[in-house]
Amino acid sequence: MGLAPVGKYLARAGVAIAIVLIAAQLVPIRLSNPPVTGDIAAPGEAGIALRGACYDCHSNQTGWPWYAQAAPLSWWIARDVEYGRRQVNFSIWNTYYPATRLRKLEWIGRSLKQPDMPPKWYRAMHPGARLTKAQRAALSAWFAGQVAAASATQ
Amino acid sequence: MPHSHSTKALLALAAAALVLTRFVAPACAADGAVQIKLVEGHFEPQTLTVPAGQPLVIEVTNVTGKTAEFESFLLNREKVVEPGQVITVRVGPLSPGSYDFYDDFNQAVPQGSIVAR
Repeated sequence: MGLAPVGKYLARAGVAIAIVLIAAQLVPIRLSNPPVTGDIAAPGEAGIALRGACYDCHSNQTGWPWYAQAAPLSWWIARDVEYGRRQVNFSIWNTYYPATRLRKLEWIGRSLKQPDMPPKWYRAMHPGARLTKAQRAALSAWFAGQVAAASATQ
Repeated sequence: MPHSHSTKALLALAAAALVLTRFVAPACAADGAVQIKLVEGHFEPQTLTVPAGQPLVIEVTNVTGKTAEFESFLLNREKVVEPGQVITVRVGPLSPGSYDFYDDFNQAVPQGSIVAR
């Protein structure tokens, strides 16, 4: 019979994948939220939008989803959050050098003009992180004010 | 025999072509690329001068043990560089001026600059 060997191969492949997935769970991964040492003070609508759309990747107040515990997704999510925090971390905002803060503000202003921030895959998993036009405008206006203030002191 | 001579000549040509491909092609690919190295705590060189009005290829090597991000707001580029990795950053023709770059993952690394003249 033609199908029997195929079925056997599929069953073996399924077992192999299951073993790999189970073994992957044994690789230790740290999903941590370090202390908040200098949170950015974004008020009103801008603050709400910032917390709702940006804080999971760009702060130490990440809301880790349940699937962040499951490898190999956990590896990808942990790496993304690590890079996100290193690029800009609103929980340590006040510890940045003034020059660093200014250039991060400029990048944030530029990112807000792009539709791909927050990233598409993240918006798909977190509908609450989809910025409305009004929220994007509020964030842009607030950050533009911060850039102006920071530039004035440089 | 003439046939044998032409075969030998062809083989010699093929060997020469292989050698050229192996040793010359990579040099051509990297030709014109400027090199920036991130060593412990700083960029080498800190400042580099490039011709204005020409596309630029920058090769950034991270020889530190830490992940870095080569970033430049003025060049509108940001790229993660893992330890030991070499990345290539391409930018269009630059207007004369100074374009700073930095390691976005480590604010203690002094920024460098590319001067287009």
